[in-house]
Amino acid sequence: MKFLQLTVALILTAARIPVLAGDPVYPVSAIPDSLKKEAHLVKRLDERTLQVTSLKEMRMVSHIFITVLDEEGAAAAGMVERYDKQTEIKSISGALYDADGKLIKRLKQSDLRDVSQQGDGSLMTDSRYKIHRFYHNVYPYTVEYEVEVKLNNSFLFPRWTPRDEKHCTVQEARLTVNTPADFKFRYHTFCYPGQPVVREDKGQKSYSWEVRNLPVYKEEYYSLEGYKLTPTVWLAPDAFRLDDYEGNMNTWKGLSLFAYTLNAGRDELPDNIKQKVHQLTDNLPGNDAKIAALYKYLQQNYRYISIQLGIGGLQTFDARTTAAKGYGDCKALSNFMMAMLKEAGIPSSCAWVKSGEGQTDVQEDFPVDRFDHVILCIPGAKDTTWLECTSNTLPSGYLSGFTAGRQVLLLDEKGSGLVRTPVYGMASNQQHRTISATLDENGNMKADALTVRTGMEQDDLHEVLHALNKEKQLERMRSELDIASYDIVSYDCEETLSRNPSIAEHIVLNCKGYATVTGKRIFVTPNVLNRSIPKLTNDSARISPLRFRYEFLHSDTVKITIPDGYKLESLPAATELTTKFGSYSASTTLSGNTVTYIRRMERKAGTFPVAAYEDLVKFYSAINKSDRARLVMLKM
Amino acid sequence: MTGVCNSGMLYTFAPIHPIFMKYRPVLLKVLLMALVPLVTFAQDGSKIKFGKISKEDFKVQLPEKDSGAHALVIAEIGSSEFETDADGFRLVYKVHRRIKILDKNAYDLATIRIGLYKEGSDEERIQGLKGISYNLENGEVVETKMETSNIFTDKQDKNHVYKKFALPAVKEGTIIEYTFSILSPYYRNLRSWDFQGTYPRLWSEYKVSVPEYFDYVQIPQGYGKFFIEEKKVGRTNMTFLSRNGAGPSQMGTATPTVYNWRWVMKDVPALKEEDFITTLDNYVRRIEFQLSAINYPNEPSKPIRTTWNALMTALQKDENFSEAINNNNGFLADVTDNLVKNAKTDTEKAMAIYRWVRDNYTCNEHGSMWASHSLKSVFNTKNGNVAEINLLLIAMLKRAKLEAYPVILSTRDNGLVYPYYPLLTRFNYTLASVVLDSAITSLDASDPLLGFGKLHPGCYNGDGRMVNADAYIIPYAADSLREQKFTSVSLGKLEKGEWKGSFQQRPTYFESYGIREKVKEKGPKEFFKNYQQKFSAWDMEMQNENINDLKELESPVMVQFEFTLKPGEEDVLYLNPLFSEITKQNIFKSAERNFPVEMPAVFDEVYSFNMEVPDGYEVDEIPKSGIVKFNEDEGVFEYLIQHSGNMIQMRCRVRLTKATFAPEDYTDLRSFFDIVVNKQAEQIVLKKKK
Repeated sequence: MKFLQLTVALILTAARIPVLAGDPVYPVSAIPDSLKKEAHLVKRLDERTLQVTSLKEMRMVSHIFITVLDEEGAAAAGMVERYDKQTEIKSISGALYDADGKLIKRLKQSDLRDVSQQGDGSLMTDSRYKIHRFYHNVYPYTVEYEVEVKLNNSFLFPRWTPRDEKHCTVQEARLTVNTPADFKFRYHTFCYPGQPVVREDKGQKSYSWEVRNLPVYKEEYYSLEGYKLTPTVWLAPDAFRLDDYEGNMNTWKGLSLFAYTLNAGRDELPDNIKQKVHQLTDNLPGNDAKIAALYKYLQQNYRYISIQLGIGGLQTFDARTTAAKGYGDCKALSNFMMAMLKEAGIPSSCAWVKSGEGQTDVQEDFPVDRFDHVILCIPGAKDTTWLECTSNTLPSGYLSGFTAGRQVLLLDEKGSGLVRTPVYGMASNQQHRTISATLDENGNMKADALTVRTGMEQDDLHEVLHALNKEKQLERMRSELDIASYDIVSYDCEETLSRNPSIAEHIVLNCKGYATVTGKRIFVTPNVLNRSIPKLTNDSARISPLRFRYEFLHSDTVKITIPDGYKLESLPAATELTTKFGSYSASTTLSGNTVTYIRRMERKAGTFPVAAYEDLVKFYSAINKSDRARLVMLKM
Repeated sequence: MTGVCNSGMLYTFAPIHPIFMKYRPVLLKVLLMALVPLVTFAQDGSKIKFGKISKEDFKVQLPEKDSGAHALVIAEIGSSEFETDADGFRLVYKVHRRIKILDKNAYDLATIRIGLYKEGSDEERIQGLKGISYNLENGEVVETKMETSNIFTDKQDKNHVYKKFALPAVKEGTIIEYTFSILSPYYRNLRSWDFQGTYPRLWSEYKVSVPEYFDYVQIPQGYGKFFIEEKKVGRTNMTFLSRNGAGPSQMGTATPTVYNWRWVMKDVPALKEEDFITTLDNYVRRIEFQLSAINYPNEPSKPIRTTWNALMTALQKDENFSEAINNNNGFLADVTDNLVKNAKTDTEKAMAIYRWVRDNYTCNEHGSMWASHSLKSVFNTKNGNVAEINLLLIAMLKRAKLEAYPVILSTRDNGLVYPYYPLLTRFNYTLASVVLDSAITSLDASDPLLGFGKLHPGCYNGDGRMVNADAYIIPYAADSLREQKFTSVSLGKLEKGEWKGSFQQRPTYFESYGIREKVKEKGPKEFFKNYQQKFSAWDMEMQNENINDLKELESPVMVQFEFTLKPGEEDVLYLNPLFSEITKQNIFKSAERNFPVEMPAVFDEVYSFNMEVPDGYEVDEIPKSGIVKFNEDEGVFEYLIQHSGNMIQMRCRVRLTKATFAPEDYTDLRSFFDIVVNKQAEQIVLKKKK
């Protein structure tokens, strides 16, 4: 779905480090012990300089020295440099040094590999890569790369996150931006105390950011986005130029207008499609019905194929081309749908969005293009309808967790800027399950389970139902159910497509030895299917605040009939927990020979301070334990 | 391996090794100029013509056993035949495919990538690429042609180019059709054909026409009968351009005999993935070819690799294989001499060299039998494919005056080696072997986690071949991998609600390899978390955790830790004596099985446990001892437990005697593991004394 890839290319520059013959280059002995702790790599210097020459041209020079401490760090110490029509690589040089900082060898241009982007699902893209690696196995050693890149625009400013690898520490890193004194750009920092150093000289202005001695960075459960947890600088221009288009992204309105202009006038439909639109919608009452009919037509007749060509991959194919091919990427399909709606008299706008569950790359006070996907927004009298035009299966008006609940950039002639996609909350994301089961004396159990999932709780199953045939669905279930040994007797799903879609799943299972029979006792876990809350361990070094991306409600009611002739020996204790993260309750009762188990869990969305992690560990561990509690029956 | 890959219609590059490419028809005095079509075939059986389709064609039904398939291949017809042009012979491989897209999940079949190979001026070219989509609209067939402007050329690198295109107007129910030809100068690489794949096929046909100048051996594999299998003999005209020294060129024609084969399979079911299988590829119905002789006119027939001995002898002299290891290789002298200067025995010498190569060279390609760089270049750049690294190892062993040879094999994911004909294309891996104390030790220096004399589990896939005049078979069978995993747990006194114990485990070598990999990737903390999470229903704390022999790559590791359980103040304590070692789920999940069960090694796990009954408690119940046999002598499950005094001792063993089982054994094997799972779930019950 990506239509723009702006990884910070190794942007280097700056003053070459003066190296006198014989002077050791970054010897390993100069690394402080604190930077070796838990590290496989140490960035000795990461120096990046962006020179803005004009709206049409920028140059980035990246000069990097990385010490590879051990084998685990070797793979990350190579060079990968992307290029395309907007991004020209002017030069690449490099060198390899031993632990003492003595030169072993220099990069040979003939050792650079030049490859196209493969295997990302794109039919075609402009992007290609230069790749290099020194294969050296005597650790530690240091590699140096210097890459100069010319950008033929002033739109795609780099991001800077010097600590961008796991197990990598940073000794010294610097970002410098040099511009003509009257050039306006903005910056936004994360985890960076203070302001850049600004200098002005002979009509040039220079800004620089510097960090030193960053320790390793670890991945953590339920954490914020990585860039928010490590020093990061985002840059964005005010006025800019991309290809023949100019714009100003000082405000979201400006970016919105630019994006609109870049894609405007590409919604002319061929006559046969115009007729089709009228044939499908003229007799329908109301816009909702018309939207649904056209969306269904789109889903049945057009497919998603990624093609990233042209202006930064930002400009759509026109609607005629999409009509002729019957396929397109997110831009082309949204644009085509917009054109059909227009023909039916319904105005709509494309919207740029950062896709992926829980993605929140938009900083409201810092307009910049961090988007990677396009969806369609149809304003209505009562409420707005959103369409994901690359899906052949989602119901009309439901976005799924892929793009829901976030700010997106609306592309319209007014320049509307940011708007929000719908948030699917606890009322929407639910899972309700009832199980009735019968246990025999050997511990075998036949269970009949009906599970109804709605909203984002059904997103995964929706994908599975539409992406796998029944045989594969069963296979997947076999790998997922946490039951010792079983056969699936029957399995059916019924889907209700609506703005809050739901799937009812009905499974009948024969579980062999579900209960453990030891002599005169039977051990049964009454929570048959909902045991997925992990047991967490405390982490005193945690740095990220806690973040739950979405909220949900689960309810389970299980009735198990146990064989005659047994009496109760022990019953799991009832559990009831209420925390800031949500609540949990579980209870088991026996009446006659029927065990009834009732479980309910609500988990809220939100961000909580780091210290709350300890409470979460307690909460989840208590749930994990309660979910696995057993009931013991004794033979009479 | 070559030609059309069975899954998803993705065209992979033929693994054309330089050995196939360096060949020029130098023996041929005549070179060709004009193209003369070979034989034209009548399409009996399959009446399909490109672009000709009717409403009736949309009525095709999925076979019942493949219900739920996302697409149905209505017909695919391929052919390979020889032509001549100014540069000599070339192969024309033509494909015509018609597929009905049944649902959205098969849309990717309408995006086609065709891999082409080139080297210098020798390149594969594509010709006659056409594609059409047919849709039934209001009862009429509507066709949409692909425009040639929608064909993309993607130069992957200097040797590989992809032609890529997406067919237009594809929906559920669309029939897509495309055809193309690949013109190839690499005529040794006569492409294979898969008659079976991910989707069911109603008609799959391959025709091969070979002039008398070439002999190819046919290598079939897989299950299922051909509907048509025929061979016809005909003649064709071929035009050549002959040059006699510096004299003027002359046109010449020849009328060689041509052998025309044709194979058809009808109603071929889809291939389905199963667990515990080395590779599904072993079971694909396929025909492969290997050039076995060149018979140019007026010259004696030139055999190409007919016996294992001849093949291996030729390979020894091949510049893309091991030719260089027979040289003096003076550039290796210093480093080799230095490595072995303190070694007292041959084994010490070999170990020193092996470890140095393993620790200093990075493997950049694990599936390669061939070298594509010179020994010296590999030596200097410190990286190479698996063959290059192991050939360097051999060269150094030889410099140290040891007897060393390459061994070639096919890894498990690459499929079985065809045993009946010496065929190099099936091999994808080169090991080193060294003769020490008149025994052969196999070495692989391409993997930093392997010890001296140890191989990756993927190498245990049947017979390897030693590359020397004797062409010895070196057996690497999964059935020969008999190693025991041993675990021992003991529980001491229960005091103040805390129960202390210790855990000790010696996994098999391969499991240890996995542990080394995991520890390297995630660190020991993460590794122990695994045990912690599944250890007990009670709270558990771990102390003194340690992995011994992590760096002793020749032996398995030893995992050790001490633990404290907190069972609480219950009147009744339920204790599963297997802790983290319980087999929680049956490893055989599917109810049915079509192919043999191929496990990576022979299964043998022993668990031993002892505990003291805590003061104030008495044993209310312990599981019963029992022994279950599988197929008489092919497996055994023992669960032995006894209680005497205040001690409980338990020993549990699950053992199979081989690694491979027939599909007929599957149900019993699954039931056997059901018994293991059920029995191991049983509990020891302790009660507070009243």
